[in-house]
Amino acid sequence: MLNKGQSGRSGNRLVDMRLQGNRPGDADAAGRLTREQLQLLEQRKKTPAQRAMDFVITLLPMLCCLIAVLEYLLVPDRYDNDAPERYLVLLVLPAVIYAVFWAVSLSRLKSTSRLYQRLRYKAPLYAAVFLLLAVFDFATLKTGYLTQPFIPWVNSIINAAIGDWQYLGISTLYTLRLLFLGYFSGVAAGLITGIACGYSQKVRYWVDPIIRILGPIPTATWVPLVMILAASLFGGSVFIVALGTWFAVTIASMTGIANIDRSYFEAARTLGAKGSQLVFRVAIPQAMPSILQGMTQGMSSACVSLMVAEMLGVEAGLGWYITWAKAWAMYNRLFAAIVVICLVFNAVTKSLNLFKKRVLRWQEGMVK
Amino acid sequence: MAEQTVLKLDRVSKSFARIERDEITYALGETSLEMRSGEFVSIVGASGCGKSTILRLIAGLIVPTMGAVTVNGQPVDGPDPSRGMVFQKPTLFPWLTVEKNISFSLRIQKKLDGSAEKVERMLRLIGLEEFRDDYPAQLSGGMAQRVALARSLISEPGILLLDEPLGALDAFTRMNMQDEILGMWQGSQQLVIMVTHDVDEAIYMGTRVIVMEARPGRVRAEIPVELDYPRNRSSAQFVGYRNQILEMLHYGAKES
Repeated sequence: MLNKGQSGRSGNRLVDMRLQGNRPGDADAAGRLTREQLQLLEQRKKTPAQRAMDFVITLLPMLCCLIAVLEYLLVPDRYDNDAPERYLVLLVLPAVIYAVFWAVSLSRLKSTSRLYQRLRYKAPLYAAVFLLLAVFDFATLKTGYLTQPFIPWVNSIINAAIGDWQYLGISTLYTLRLLFLGYFSGVAAGLITGIACGYSQKVRYWVDPIIRILGPIPTATWVPLVMILAASLFGGSVFIVALGTWFAVTIASMTGIANIDRSYFEAARTLGAKGSQLVFRVAIPQAMPSILQGMTQGMSSACVSLMVAEMLGVEAGLGWYITWAKAWAMYNRLFAAIVVICLVFNAVTKSLNLFKKRVLRWQEGMVK
Repeated sequence: MAEQTVLKLDRVSKSFARIERDEITYALGETSLEMRSGEFVSIVGASGCGKSTILRLIAGLIVPTMGAVTVNGQPVDGPDPSRGMVFQKPTLFPWLTVEKNISFSLRIQKKLDGSAEKVERMLRLIGLEEFRDDYPAQLSGGMAQRVALARSLISEPGILLLDEPLGALDAFTRMNMQDEILGMWQGSQQLVIMVTHDVDEAIYMGTRVIVMEARPGRVRAEIPVELDYPRNRSSAQFVGYRNQILEMLHYGAKES
């Protein structure tokens, strides 16, 4: 016992010595290595020149932010620019946050080595974004190389978003309502048909041809027809959004259920599972990866048909806001709506991915 | 589990209809067997001799073409947790943790009284308490098969059916598991029926070895193994049994 402890400790000292050559960090009290320390031990040591280079690269985002700020302040405007300080906030705030993280990562504490590596990894990307903003501002507000007023500069988009925030907010809520109602009814219907088809030959006999014939038609095709036929415009648009989702989820859960390993059913039956228990406790969990993939596909299809529906008929929501802004030649509002759409759809996709990760944490490779 | 269980196969046969060709496969010819609690019956034979078919008939996963399988006089009608089965593949449900896999049978039958203690006892029995929250993908083959065993044993089945449960394991894990399974059986009044293609394993574990032949599947001989546990694989009697069985399976030393 004693022997073991000693050899462990001396081995640990060796590790510490090598770690000091790179970035420092102590192995934890139990003498175990953290993942970063292991990586540091195994990777080739960086030369001083490489480390200096890394340091310069982590500085780049702040430098590029400075360039963007100077460009904005020093080059004379070609057009009227209201409330110019707003764009400055947008530029400087992320750079300040970055600078704080950067300063923390330099503090050479044990836990910051990974943060530093992350910043080093992301720095070129952040720097490029700041440079892009500077170039964009130069090409619009400063010179008008990009035709005005069709492509507004960032500050005017911010102004539009702030000035019209109530209308934009309500439109966002309408869009979300339509998206969720359509998406979830589509998912629910898709699960029912998909699982029924996967499970029962008879149901598949009748449903399969319908899916085969109607499936390849993009759901947006139905929009004009539904607008005429549907009792209410809102109901019609929910139907349109649901349709694409239904299709994707049906196909995915059908294949998921059909590809189930039969031996799980046998095992479950010898353990006492019967009838609907086999469906809910064995078939559906096993088809879950496939079902979730269908749900992701269904989400992108829902987003597309949502926009089409709002642009063609529904008189609310971000899609409608965009057509409305275009009709009145308010291009900065149009861009503001596009930014909001980007944020909303990103948030929705991200939460779906989180959900997926949580549900499928048992899968190989997903398991920690 | 205290009561005596008597399992009878009364002139049972099983044929399968081939789907692709218009043919019938005679998986198991007319077979009659009787087994009771406390026995450990090994079934050996080449592949295609119907040994798995016998287990699946007893489990109730398939229905006999002719004849009847009865437990204490009651005909077998579909699978039941009182006849637990462990397959060659562990078939653990990959979306459930070790603990949830073990308690699956209790949860499905809504026998939740004292289920936590039962799961605890099973985890201790297979020595995997630390792995209770792991998913099957994280387990080694031997660990997974232990969990599969625990998953069946938790319902305290009077009959335990093992369908080549150690077939996919490496030699050392396999020998350890043989002793573990024997230990579990000796601590109970169960009837264990194990199918294997390993003659040594059959003799090492069984109180009786049933030797089967293929095309059509039928019982060639029933050999009671009269050796005390733990058995010595290299003792003269053991080797004697092995030679006798190998000869029946036509793998014996040819006389020149």
